[in-house]
Formats: sequence, C-alpha cells, structure tokens
Amino acid sequence: MEKSLFCLALILFVNCNLSLVSGEHETLVLLDNLAIKETHSMFFKSLKERGYALTFKSADDSTLILSKYGEYLYENLIIFAPSVEEFGGSLSTESITDFIDNGGNVLVAGSSQSQDILRELATECGFEMDEEGASVIDHLNYDISDSGKHTLIVADAAANLIDAPVIVGERSGLAPLLYQGTGLVADADNPLVLRLLTAHSSAYSYVPGRPIKEYPHAVGKNTLLMAALQARNNARVVFTGSLYFFSDEAFTAPVQKAAQSAAQKWTASGNQAVSDALCRWVFKESGVIRVKSVAHKRLNEKAPPPAYTIMDTVIFSLELERKSGATWVPHDVTDLQLEFVRIDPFVRRTLTNKGRGRYETVFRIPDVYGVYKLKVDYNRVGYTHVYSSTQVSVRPLEHTQYERFIASAYPYYASALSMMAGVFLFSLLILHYKEDPVKGKVE
Amino acid sequence: MKTTVSNPSGWKSLITFTVLLLAWLSGFSSRLFAVIRFESIIHEFDPWFNYRATAYMVQHGFYQFLNWFDERAWYPLGRIVGGTVYPGLMITSGGIHYVLHALNIPVHIRDICVFLAPVFSGLTAISTYLLTKELWSAGAGLFAACFIAIVPGYISRSVAGSYDNEGIAIFALQYTYYLWVKSVKTGSIFWSCLTALSYFYMVSAWGGYVFIINLIPLHVFVLLLMGRYSNRLFTSYTTFYILGLLFSMQIPFVGFQPIRTSEHMAASGVFALVLVVAVLKYMQSVLSKAEFKYFFTFAAVAAAAFVFLTVVILTYLGFIAPWSGRFYSLWDTGYAKIHIPIIASVSEHQPTTWFSFFFDLHILVTTFPVGLWYCIKDINDERVFVVLYAISAVYFAGVMVRLMLTLTPVVCMLAGVAFSRLFELFLKEEDGPAAAAAANAGDSDSDTEASGDHKSRNMYDKAGKLRKMKHEQQRDNEGLGMNIRTIVIVAVMMMLMMFAVHCTWVTSNSYSSPSIVLASYGQDGSRQILDDFREAYHWLSHNTDSDARVMSWWDYGYQIAGMANRTTLVDNNTWNNSHIALVGKAMSSKEEDAYKIMVSLDVDYVLVIFGGVIGYSGDDINKFLWMVRIAEGEHPKDIHESDYFSERGEFRVDAEGSQTLLNCLMYKLCYYRFGELKLDYRSPAGFDRVRNVIIGNKNFDLKYLEEAYTTEHWLVRIYRVKKESEFNRPRIPVADRSVRIADLTSKKARQRKKGSIKSKPTVVKGRKPAAKL
Repeated sequence: MEKSLFCLALILFVNCNLSLVSGEHETLVLLDNLAIKETHSMFFKSLKERGYALTFKSADDSTLILSKYGEYLYENLIIFAPSVEEFGGSLSTESITDFIDNGGNVLVAGSSQSQDILRELATECGFEMDEEGASVIDHLNYDISDSGKHTLIVADAAANLIDAPVIVGERSGLAPLLYQGTGLVADADNPLVLRLLTAHSSAYSYVPGRPIKEYPHAVGKNTLLMAALQARNNARVVFTGSLYFFSDEAFTAPVQKAAQSAAQKWTASGNQAVSDALCRWVFKESGVIRVKSVAHKRLNEKAPPPAYTIMDTVIFSLELERKSGATWVPHDVTDLQLEFVRIDPFVRRTLTNKGRGRYETVFRIPDVYGVYKLKVDYNRVGYTHVYSSTQVSVRPLEHTQYERFIASAYPYYASALSMMAGVFLFSLLILHYKEDPVKGKVE
Repeated sequence: MKTTVSNPSGWKSLITFTVLLLAWLSGFSSRLFAVIRFESIIHEFDPWFNYRATAYMVQHGFYQFLNWFDERAWYPLGRIVGGTVYPGLMITSGGIHYVLHALNIPVHIRDICVFLAPVFSGLTAISTYLLTKELWSAGAGLFAACFIAIVPGYISRSVAGSYDNEGIAIFALQYTYYLWVKSVKTGSIFWSCLTALSYFYMVSAWGGYVFIINLIPLHVFVLLLMGRYSNRLFTSYTTFYILGLLFSMQIPFVGFQPIRTSEHMAASGVFALVLVVAVLKYMQSVLSKAEFKYFFTFAAVAAAAFVFLTVVILTYLGFIAPWSGRFYSLWDTGYAKIHIPIIASVSEHQPTTWFSFFFDLHILVTTFPVGLWYCIKDINDERVFVVLYAISAVYFAGVMVRLMLTLTPVVCMLAGVAFSRLFELFLKEEDGPAAAAAANAGDSDSDTEASGDHKSRNMYDKAGKLRKMKHEQQRDNEGLGMNIRTIVIVAVMMMLMMFAVHCTWVTSNSYSSPSIVLASYGQDGSRQILDDFREAYHWLSHNTDSDARVMSWWDYGYQIAGMANRTTLVDNNTWNNSHIALVGKAMSSKEEDAYKIMVSLDVDYVLVIFGGVIGYSGDDINKFLWMVRIAEGEHPKDIHESDYFSERGEFRVDAEGSQTLLNCLMYKLCYYRFGELKLDYRSPAGFDRVRNVIIGNKNFDLKYLEEAYTTEHWLVRIYRVKKESEFNRPRIPVADRSVRIADLTSKKARQRKKGSIKSKPTVVKGRKPAAKL
C-alpha cells in the first residue's frame, strides 16, 4: 500500500524540452539590421564572455527556425528588431509563445517604431506596448543631452527600479538609467508580471509633437519602461520599449537630469549594470532554485510508512538549492513554510533552517483521517517558483490500536468476573447439594 | 405388508425433497439469463464495490479488510471500508472461495460473486418452506418455496451478477424468522440462541436487519396485548434479545447503534415490558384475581409509559440518536424530497407504483390477502407474527420500491397458504387425473398430518375452533360438483402456469440486464451490444496515471473504482452529503467557477454519461436537477434550482432553456461538439434523442478542460482538467486590450518564407552572408 507519491513539480532549467546543440547557452538574436550588432556591441560582448553562443539573424530571414523535429535549437531568444512586421521562416507569434510555453526565455526590446507583431507578442505575455510612434515623454526628468522632445528620459534607481537584487542587481549606488522609447502597460491584476522599471510620475507615453487629444495609454508610474514575466513554467520574458537602453551609447553616456545642476552629473549611466543583471536573470543564470530532496517519516523511525495514522508525529525535511554557474549550491532562507493540506491546510509550519540548505519541521498529524498533501509552495520575487507536493494517506486507528482496557469499564469487568466466580461457586454448591441425596440413596 | 414405496411418509419426504430441489434448480437457472446473454460479469453499481471489497479481502485477509482504509475513494477524505460496510457478503463469498480452494477447486472469486445470489435463492426457498411449514402446513411451504424461487420481486435483486447484500440477506431474514417462530413455538433456549445467531448473520449482511429487530419485538408486544403471554415467549424473546444485541454490536458498522439509536429502541422497550409482564404473572400467582386485574392494567400502562418516556428523555438529552432521515422518509414520503434530496434522488427510493406490485408479484398479489385472511381466521402465536410481517411489509413496500424485496417473501408464504388451502378444498377425495392426484397427495397428506400436529399441540394453541371449522369446510366441499372442482382446478393451474410464464418473461426482459453492458435490438431483431461503459473505464485504466482522480456523479463512483481502478471523489456509499454537494456544485456552476472547485479537489479527469446519441435516458442531464438540488442544499447562496428552469418553469436544454443551464459545466461536458453531429439524414445537427430537442447552445469551447475520450456511442465522455501550469502566460484577451492592434494576417508565401521589416534598407540583403558568425 505504498501510496505516498512524490510529485515534485519543479521546472528549473531550460529542461528536457530543449535539447542543447552545443551544450552552451544557445541564443538566437533577431535584429532589424546587422548594424545593431555594432551599436550594441558591449551588450553582446558581455553575453559572449559569459558563455552564450549567439546566433545573429535578421528578423525577416527566411530560414529562421526555433525548433526542429519537436526539439528546440535555442534556449534563449533575443528580439532586437523593433520594426519587424513579420518574422521570416517559421517564426511567428505562435511559435514564440510555444517557445515560452516550453521553457524558453525571451528578451524583447522595442522602440517607438515598434510594429504590431511585437505588440501581439506583448499581449500574449500580459503586457501592452503603446502605439506606433508613441514615446515616453517626461518634461521634468529628461537627460540634458535630449534633443528637445524630452524623450530621452532618466529613471532613478531608487525610485523607479524594482527592489529585487536577483533581477536587476543592487539599487544602492547605482547611476540613473537612460531610456528612450515607447511605454508599456501591464494588467494590474496580473500576479505573474513584474514591473521592473517604471517611469517617473511626471511621465506619459504619447506621440511626441502631436497635440494630445485623447488620454494617453500610459501615464505616470503606470508607464512601464521594462516589464518581466515569469511564466508558470518558470520561463522568463523581459519586455522593454527601448532598444536604446542596451546600446553602447546608453551604456557609456553621462547622465544628468536637465533640471539638476552639473554637480549631480554621473559620468556613466547605470544601464550596463542593470542590463548585465537583467540578462543573468532572464537567461536563468540567477534566481534559479529547486528542491533537492524531500523526506518525511514518523519521528524516530527510519523509513516513511506506507500510510500515517492519525495523531502521529511526523518529521518533514526538505533541501533547497540554488543554481550558481554550472553547479548547484545550498540555498538558505528563513521564510520557507510547509502546509499539511486536505482541501484546506490543517497544519502550517515555518521550516527551520538547519544550515546548508536543509530545512526541517516536526508536527503532529491532526485527528482527522484522509489523504493529505505535504505542500511547500515558495514564491518569491525573482526566484523560480518552488512547488513540492507529496501525497500521504492518514488512516484511522486499526482495531488493535485502541486501548485494550479502559478505566470507565472497570465496573463491568468486575461484574463479569464476579458473575463468572458466582457461576463457578454456585455450580459447586449445586453439585454438592445434588451429591448428598444421591449418596443418601445409595447408602 | 407395507413396502417402502407405499409408505406415505417416505413418499412425503421424497416429494418434499424433489420439489425443493426443483425449486432451487429452477430458481438458479432462471437467474442465469444475464450470464447467458452477456457474460459472467458483476452488474450495476453497488455490486462493483462489493466485488472489489471481496477481492481485497480474499487477497489481503480478513484483518487487513477490517482495517482497510480506502484512500482511493472519497478523495481526499478517504473511506474506512472495514467500519462502514456490512461484511457478511464478503465473508460469505470469501469463505466459499477459501473452502473451494482448500479442496483444490480453483474458482475465481468473481465467479463466486456472480453466482452467489442465485445459489442463495435456493436456500431462501428452503427457509421459506420451513417458515411456511411452521406457520401453516408443509404443502403451503412447498408452494411458497416454489413461488419465492421464481418470483420477480426477489429475482430483481438476485440475478447472477447482482452481487449485493440483499442476495444473501433475504435468506438470512427468512431463516431468522423461521428460527424465531420455531423458538416461540417450542420455547426452547436452543432455538432462540440459533435465532440470535441467524440474526447476527443478518446484521452482518444487510442494513435491513432493523426490520427484524423491530418486527420481532412488535410480535412480542402484540402477543402481550392479545394476552398470549407465555413462558415460551418470555424465554425465547429474552434470550434472543440479549444475545442478538451483543452479536449485532460486534459488527463494526453497527457498533453502538443498537443501544443508541431510536430505530432499536422498540426492541429494548419490549424487552423491559416482557420482564415487567413476567413479574406481573408471578404476582398473579400471589395476588387474588380481582386485585390482580386492576393491578395488571395499571402496571402495564405505567410500564409502557415509563419506557416510552425514558426513550424520549434519553433522545432529548442526546444519549439516543433521533430517527435518521431514511427512517423519517419511511413515514412521510415527502420528507426526503424536501430535506434529503440525496435519498430521494435514488430511483429505488421512490414510492412504489401499483403497476410494479403486479409486475413483481403477478397472481400472488391477489391471493396473498386470502392467505392473510386464513391466518387471521385461524390465529395462533406464530400466525400473529406472519400477519404483522405482512402488514408492515405491505406498508414499507408501498413507500419505497426497494422495500418490495421485504414484501416478496411474505407474499409468497401467504399465497402459498392460500393455494394450498384451495387445493386442499378442491382436491380432497378427488379421483382426477393421476398426475395431479399424485402431485397433490403429498400435500393433502402432509396437511392432515400438520393438522394432526395442531391437535396434539392444543396445549398452547388457543384456536380450538380449528377442528370445527375444518369439518364445516369439508362438509361444504361435499356439495361441490365434480365439474366445478375440475373447472376451478384447471383455472388455478392455468393461473399458476401464467404466473410461471410471467416470471420468466419479467426476469428475462427487465431484471437480467447488467446495466454496464447495454443491448439494443434492431428492427430485424438483431442484437447490438453497447459496451461503452467498459470501453471508457478501460480507457481510464490504460491511459491515465494510476493515481489520477476522476470526478463524476456519485452513481459511477463504484464502477470507476472497480473497473478503472482510479481514485474517485464521490461514490455510491453516499456517506458525506457535503462532498457530494461540492461535486454537484462543480457540475452545475459555470466552467470557471467549476474549475476552482476542481483544482481545490485535485481533479484530473471528469467523466459524464451522455445518452443523447443513442437515446439512453438514464444519463447525467436527466439526473442533473438532483445535482442542482443537492448542491443547493449545501450551497444555497451559489446555486438556485429555479435558475435552471426556463421562464415557463420547464427544464429544457433547447434554445428556450435557461442560460444558467446552457452554460453550466454539466451541459457543456455533455454537449461539447454535439452541435456538429448529425445523427441521421432527417434530423438536424445537435438533435438530442433523449429529450427530443435540438440543443440550445451549440458552439462553445472549453477553456479549462479538454476532451480526453468519448466512447463509440458517446455514452461516456471523459475530459481532462487542465493543470494550472497549462495556463502558462497571462494572455490579455482582445476585449481587454487598450492598444488596438491591426489584424495580423501572414503575407508569407508557401515557398519563400521571408518576413518583412518596415523601412528596411535593401542593401541589408546583400550583406547577409557576412552576418554569419
């Protein structure tokens, strides 16, 4: 009756669905034109240095292909082609979303010239990109080198960047970020979308130079400059409205808000640092954790029983590890919780960290039988979703496990015994009395 | 010199033996229609659980069975099978299996289960013979045995494959009654101990044991009221009650019920009363007659009132559980419909129609009052019993179709009495055809002997008129002419023959369908087998994870567990109403609401029965209102039965049906893609053959489920519930988008799959080879 089954639902790496051609992080880069390769050389160089095998293709290349014979040729996809109207080859919105659904990571950068196919792709991931021609405009926080339309805006690390070091790196001491491009909006109710970089409250997204006749799609803090989606299969997608953000020019340009004095000028923008961290995150170098092992057993026993009995004391342990480079190292946190669930959670415990990524808790099964799940559901910003669910049966007491003698029944035991003794005595008596007349007769 | 051949008692026992043997054989064979037409297979719903439990017990042993916690049923609650089952059936067939295997006869447990009920029908016939013989005469007993062997009312529950509690319980019931009558007659502790043992078997076999534990006290009580108290009665009842009480409490499912629930209180009340009466009788020997009469009435009334009040007070204080809903529904037929829809939803719990009395009992239903009248006329202790048995069984059979089963034996017995009396009158001193005379000689012989018995036992039998009446009747008989006798005899024989024909016809046509395999007959009489149920269950067992959880309406729970061996949420052991209501709520909600419930219950597959293609009327849409009612009982805020009716108050699935109905999960699962199906050339697409309408909501898609399997005749449809991880990305639906996107149609040609880039310089093309790294 071994019924405790392990259902370790945890998708971490670009897993078995993707076969790796060279063992390296195969990455397809789609470009508007190959000049982008030169204008963004710092960005691509840092990727190459970290071991990514980049394949540059023009977005309309008729040989574009993501998968062959049901297996994906790439782990990651970078789309630096804002003005693509239709992808070449077998690439389409559907094939890219399929790629995401099978665990592939996608980095998309648009611009104010973004075409509808990118918008379509964005809506498939839960964002919306503003109309063609629209740019994020901020009349207060634009860079001093702006051409006059106030579209080269400055985003502050502290005010606009998400507080998630795993995704965007440390915010403190980070230079402001330069941004030029269209704005994004995201569904406010959507729990999977991360608002990585927002614009200032004074910003809005509209076609520069055109009189504003209708309410802009994105206004103030709702204007997303950079948004990320970690899908339920842990595939990661980053969308940004600015291809410029990753360019050599933005990486090296000095930053100074037009409204501020020269004293507050930064010699280089924070774009490179953020882009580095972001690439690590979106291509799953960082923020990838998984459950190494799950174990549960009765306290003071070695192996897990086929089924627990109600009110057993159970020790549950779990090991968590984090990806670091090519290896996995223990991951230590303090807020990991275990739930003992049968439709509703009956027990909820914070697992104590025993060091080296080991967590443990001891709890008592409630006095309710049924089929339970030992569930660990750990969802933190920037980290992969860790979900471990182990089904165990909790059975009622067996007929031999009840108390043999109970105190309240002592009177009945006494009466039964006295009855037996009485029968014995009386039968002796009766036998004795019967014997007499028989003896008398015989005599 | 008398040879063995001419010895009447030898003939008598030979005839008795032959008749009983033939009754057994014919009863056994007429129950085999299902096996011959289909195969040796377990039928219907509950038998599948019994079979599964038996197989488990045979495989794992009795103690494992007793402690069996079934985690595959009632997910995620689980079910303690050992403590919620009447184990008599499993022990019986397990025991037979053990004995046969000990004798090196390798019979599969399934075959034992299939043929158990037919075999036990023979035992029922024998015990009915014994009981009737005790009550009336051996001749009547033989009639009764023959009747019960083939009467459809009993066959309906005991055809081969119908492996249910009732199959052995009717035998246990009749045998317990026989032993009880015997023990009242003899007043011996031996017989009442046997009664208690037989009662123990009955308790272990069927919940209907409550009928015994109320009928026997009622018998005793009525005997007391009639002033027929005797020491025999005292001995037999007290012995039976105490032993029976202790025995019945040994069954884990019964447990402390015999001392804690109202259903059993009558027995203990009568027990107290018998003791009081015994004390009074003793007082009678001490006190004077006039004194005593006054004292007796007073004490009896006081004792009865005291017992009644004690029960009421204990109930009020909560020591005794009040009557359960099922019992209320026996007194108030409308009760279940209002308060416990789950009981009312079962067709066999509906009130019986007049039609089914005749259908199940045929000629017996008309002759049974005659037998009852004979019994009342020649009343004695044990006939009081059969009269009470008859009256109560008639009442209960009228309330519930299912309880027709308890009526059938008593009807057979009393009809046996009536026919035996009739033949006794009309065949006495008859020189008719030799065959008839030979056949009935035994009857009349045994009858005279039985009446001789009565005379010799006049010491307890107060019906002293018996002899006189017989004389009168015999004198009347002499006036009957030869022709009248012959005509009556022939007419009665014809009726009996028609009865036999009717029984066979009913058995063959109504009660021999396994209901998991359906047969339909074409216009040329050819037979088509619809094996959709097994097809679906086998698909489940071969194509799903072994721990997959299947949600279906509770009717199919046992079958899914038995045939597909998959975890079910609810099944025919309807012990948890709220869990069933949750499933009912999921079925009657919109897809997205249902999905939340299904996710919280970890449902992997949903199974529905849909008869619209072949016109199978017992499908889920026809049961659907019960799901709604049961769900409404537990979730009155979310589900309203009235929402599922059209504006004119009709339950219909065509275009005029209510929108709630046309969009609920059950509707969608049944009619998914049905709108595309044209059944034949004349009918339009989406024509439902059960309801004879074109369905109202034809074009819809399922978002949270996907069709996994539909059987050949669409009878069973299985859907897979999508996992949450399959809703990978939070797509923004077109309607919710704020930025409008032009319709993207591909301009790509078949051969040249080049995309397009806006404002792309043509020079780029020329540089392409350089792009390679």
